[in-house]
Amino acid sequence: MVEASASLELERSFGRVARKVRGRLWLGRALTGTAFGLGAGGLLAGALWWLRQGELRPLAAGLGVLGAGVATLLAARQRWSDQEVALYLDEKLGSKEQIVTALGLRAEASEAALHLRQSAAQSLREGGRKLRGPKVWDAPQLLAPFGAAAIVWLSFLPLPPPPAVARAPGVERVQSANVKGLERIEALRDQRGRSPEDERRLRALADEAKKLRGDLAQGMEKREALSRMARLRDSIAELRSEFGKQQNRQGLEAAIAALNEHPEAKKAARALGDGDITAFDQEMQRLANQAEKQARESAKHALEEAERAAREKGAPGLADALKEQRDAFDQRAADAEALRQLGEALAGKLDPEALEDLKEFGQGGDPEAARRLAEAMGKALSQLSEEERKRLAEQLKKQLDQSPVGAGSPMTREELEEMARRLASAEGQKQLEEQLRQMANPDRTPEAERDGALGDAERGLSDAERGLGVMPMPMTGGPGAPGETPGNGSSPGPGQGNGNPGGKGSSREGGSGDHAGQSQALTAPELRSKANVQRSGVGPMHAATLGRAPARPGDTANQRGTGSLGSVAPGEIGAIEQSEVPEEYREHVGRYFEP
Amino acid sequence: MSESFQSRLAAAKRAAEELTQAVGTVIVGQRDVVEQVLWGLIAGGHVLLEGNPGLGKTLLVRTLSSCLDLRFSRIQFTPDLMPSDITGTNVLVMGEGAAPGGRFELHRGPIFGQVVLADEINRATPKTQSALLEAMQEHSVTIAGVRHTLEEPFFALATENPIEMEGTYPLPEAQLDRFLLKVLVESPGDDDFTQILRRTTGAAPPPPARVLTQTDVLGLRALCREIEVADPVLRYAASLVGSSDPASPNAPELVRRSVRFGAGVRGGQSLVLAGKAIALLEGRPQVSFDDVKRAAAPVLRHRILRSFEGEADGVTTDRVVAELLARVEQLPAHVAHAAAAS
Repeated sequence: MVEASASLELERSFGRVARKVRGRLWLGRALTGTAFGLGAGGLLAGALWWLRQGELRPLAAGLGVLGAGVATLLAARQRWSDQEVALYLDEKLGSKEQIVTALGLRAEASEAALHLRQSAAQSLREGGRKLRGPKVWDAPQLLAPFGAAAIVWLSFLPLPPPPAVARAPGVERVQSANVKGLERIEALRDQRGRSPEDERRLRALADEAKKLRGDLAQGMEKREALSRMARLRDSIAELRSEFGKQQNRQGLEAAIAALNEHPEAKKAARALGDGDITAFDQEMQRLANQAEKQARESAKHALEEAERAAREKGAPGLADALKEQRDAFDQRAADAEALRQLGEALAGKLDPEALEDLKEFGQGGDPEAARRLAEAMGKALSQLSEEERKRLAEQLKKQLDQSPVGAGSPMTREELEEMARRLASAEGQKQLEEQLRQMANPDRTPEAERDGALGDAERGLSDAERGLGVMPMPMTGGPGAPGETPGNGSSPGPGQGNGNPGGKGSSREGGSGDHAGQSQALTAPELRSKANVQRSGVGPMHAATLGRAPARPGDTANQRGTGSLGSVAPGEIGAIEQSEVPEEYREHVGRYFEP
Repeated sequence: MSESFQSRLAAAKRAAEELTQAVGTVIVGQRDVVEQVLWGLIAGGHVLLEGNPGLGKTLLVRTLSSCLDLRFSRIQFTPDLMPSDITGTNVLVMGEGAAPGGRFELHRGPIFGQVVLADEINRATPKTQSALLEAMQEHSVTIAGVRHTLEEPFFALATENPIEMEGTYPLPEAQLDRFLLKVLVESPGDDDFTQILRRTTGAAPPPPARVLTQTDVLGLRALCREIEVADPVLRYAASLVGSSDPASPNAPELVRRSVRFGAGVRGGQSLVLAGKAIALLEGRPQVSFDDVKRAAAPVLRHRILRSFEGEADGVTTDRVVAELLARVEQLPAHVAHAAAAS
C-alpha cells in the first residue's frame, strides 16, 4: 500500500513538473525559432528591397511565417524524455540524481527503490520555484519583433530609385525630321555616272541617304545613325577614289608623269595625283583660258600624252576622263577668247572691279576671275542703249580688223563677226547675254561633274553629322571650303566647294621613303587605319583612326588616292588592324587630336 | 520497510563517522586517506597505499584494525619472503596424539587474517606477490591442493614506497587491478605536522575504541550493494572508463598520446562500487555523478598505463583522469544548457 502510494505520488508529481518543463521548453524553442524565422524574413525583405525586387517582397513575410512554423514543429519533435527531464530536475534541485534514479526504479520493489521514490516525490513537492522549468525568454528572441517590424516596414517602403547607369556613348536616341545635308547625297540619284554600274551605286547611295533620313525622322540610336553615316562616307570615298585603285595605279602614275613633263600642267598633275578631279578640271579650265597659244597647245599636248599613257597602262576610265578634258579644252579656249574680245570692247562700260578681273583673266586665265568678269559684262551689256550697242558692235569689228584672227586663235573670224553682228541687234544682244551667263558658269566635264557631286555629297554628310551634334570627320585631300578662307589641305587647288576648309597636311617626319614590299593579304571586309597623332594642346597620345578604307591587299594606311589618312609619314603609322571599332569610339577619340 | 532502509542508511552513516572519529584519535589529518580506506572497506575491495616513508601508512592500517573487531595480521614483504610464508603450509606432526606415521597439520599464514597489511609489497618477488592474487580475488587460499576459504570480511591493505626503487619489484598489472583503490598518502600540512609532533613525543595515547564488529562490517558491505545507480550515472562511469582507452573514438587527445592501456571492466566495476560506498557514507540511497567523479582518481590512477611518450612528457595518471573528468559530459548537452540557462 505504501509502495503503491509512493509510486503514484512520484508519478503524479513528476508528471506535473515534466509537463511544465516540456511546455516551457517547447515555448522557448518555438519563440526562438520564430525569432530566427522572422529575422531571416527581415533580412530577405531587406535584400529584396535593396535589390528592388518589389514583387518578391511577400516572400519575406512568407519566410517569416514558414520559419515560425518550422520552429514550432521542430520544438514539438524535440520533446524531452522522462529521463532527460529527471536529469534536468536533479540538476536544478541539486538532488544528487535522486529523481532520475527513482524513475529508473519504477518497477523495483526493493527497500532502496521505495525509499528513493518517497524521497524523490518529496523533493518534487518541495522544489518550489526551482521547478518552474527552463527559461522561456532568450536574447535571440528579440529578433522576432525586429524581424516582423522589418518585414512589414520593408514591404511597404517604396523601392529605392534605380542607380544611375552609365550609358554607353551613342545609345541615346536622336530624332530629327529634317537633317540638313542628306539631301545633297540624295541628289546623287540624278547624277550621270561613268557606267550603268556606277549610276546604280550612286542611286544606292541616294537611297541609303533617303532611308537614313526617314529613320532619323522616326528616331534611332545616335550610334547607329553615325555608323550608317560613316558607311555612306566610306562609299562616297570609294567612288571618288576609283582612279587610285590598284588596277588603275600604273595608268594613273603614267598619266601624272606625262603631265609633269610639261611645266604648265604640273598643278594639274598634282590634282590628279590627289584624286581631286574637280581641282584637276579647274586647272584645265585655267589652262584653256590662257591667252598665249603656246601655253594652250602645251597643255593640250600634255593631256593627249597623259591620255595615251593612261590607256597604254591599262587605265581606260582615266583615259576617257582625260579625253573628255581634251575634247572640252578647245571649246573652253574659244569661250575664253570671246570673253577677252568682248571684254576689251566693253572696257569703257565696266566698273573698276570688273576691269581688275579682266586684267587678272588676261594674265593667268583664272576661272574665278573669268566667272566674275562674265557676270559683270552681262550686266553691263544689258544696260547698254541701242546707240551704245551699235557703237560697241562697230568697235568690235574695228578691233577685229586691227588684230586679225590668226591660226592660233581659238575662235574663227566668222565666229567673232557673228558675235559682233548679234551685238548690233537687240535680239542678238539677248543671245549674247545668255552666252555670257553660260560663260560665268562653264560646263564641267562629266567626270568633274560627278566628282563635284560626290564632294558635295561628302560635305552634305558632314553637315548632317554636325546636325547630330557630332564633330564631322575632317575631309582629307578634298577641295577647300568656299568663300571665307581657301583651303590649305593636301590638295593644291583653291577651294571651291561648299564644305569646310581642307585639313592641314602632316609635316611630321616628312622624309623620303617608299612603300616597297607587300603585306600579306587579309581576308577582312575592311581595314582600319591607326596612326600616332598629336593630341590637341596636350602631350602625345596613341589614338585611333581618322578614316577607313575598303580592304585591299597590299594597301597601306596612307595610300595616295584612298582618301583615308591623306599624307601620313611612315613613322606616324602605328598599325593597321582588323577590328570592329565602334563609331562612337572613333568619335570619342577624334575629339582629342587633330589630323 | 522503507523506514528500516532509511534507518540502516542513517546507522551506516553514523558508524562511518564514528569509525573516522576513532581513527582520528590516532591519525592526525589525512582525512581523505582515511575516507578512501573506508570506501575500500565498505565496498569490499582492497586498498593500495602509496606514500613516502614515515607518513603513517602502517599506523593508519594498524589503527583501523584496532577500531574494527577483526583479526589483524601484518606481512612485512622482503625479497626472501616465500609464498608459503604468506599462505601457510602443512607441517608433519609426530608424537602424542598423532598417528603412528605422524600427521600433517596446517599452519595458517598471515593471509588468514581479516585485515591484512602487506607492508612494502613491492619489495617481494613477483612469485611471492602473486600469492596474494587468489586471496584478494577469490577470498580463498589453496594449500597443497586444498582450498581454504578466508573468513569474511577479508580486507587487504598494501603499502608501497615510491622513492626507493632499488631492489623492488613493481607490481604487475594483474596484481594492481585487484586493488579497488590506490590511495596516495601526502605529507601533512604544518598544522597537522605540529599536532603529530605533539602526540607522538608525549605519553603514549590510549588505544582507539573498537567501533565496528565483524557483523557491522558485513552489514555495511551488504547495504552498500543495495545502493541504487541510475542509468545515466552508469553510462557516465562507463564513458569515463571507456575514454581512458586510447583506441576509443571518444578518447581525449591526451589519452591518445600518453596512455598505452586504459582501465578495463574491473575498473568500471570498482568505480561504481566506490561510488556506492561514497553514497552510503553520506547516507544516500543512490549514486550521483559527483560520487563517480570523486572516486575516479583513486579507482583509475593505478589502472591506466602510460605510454613511453606519456612517461617522457611527465604526464601523470592523475592528470589523465582529470582530463577525462573535464572532457566526458555527465549530462546531455541540451539538458546541461537548459539547466545552466534557467
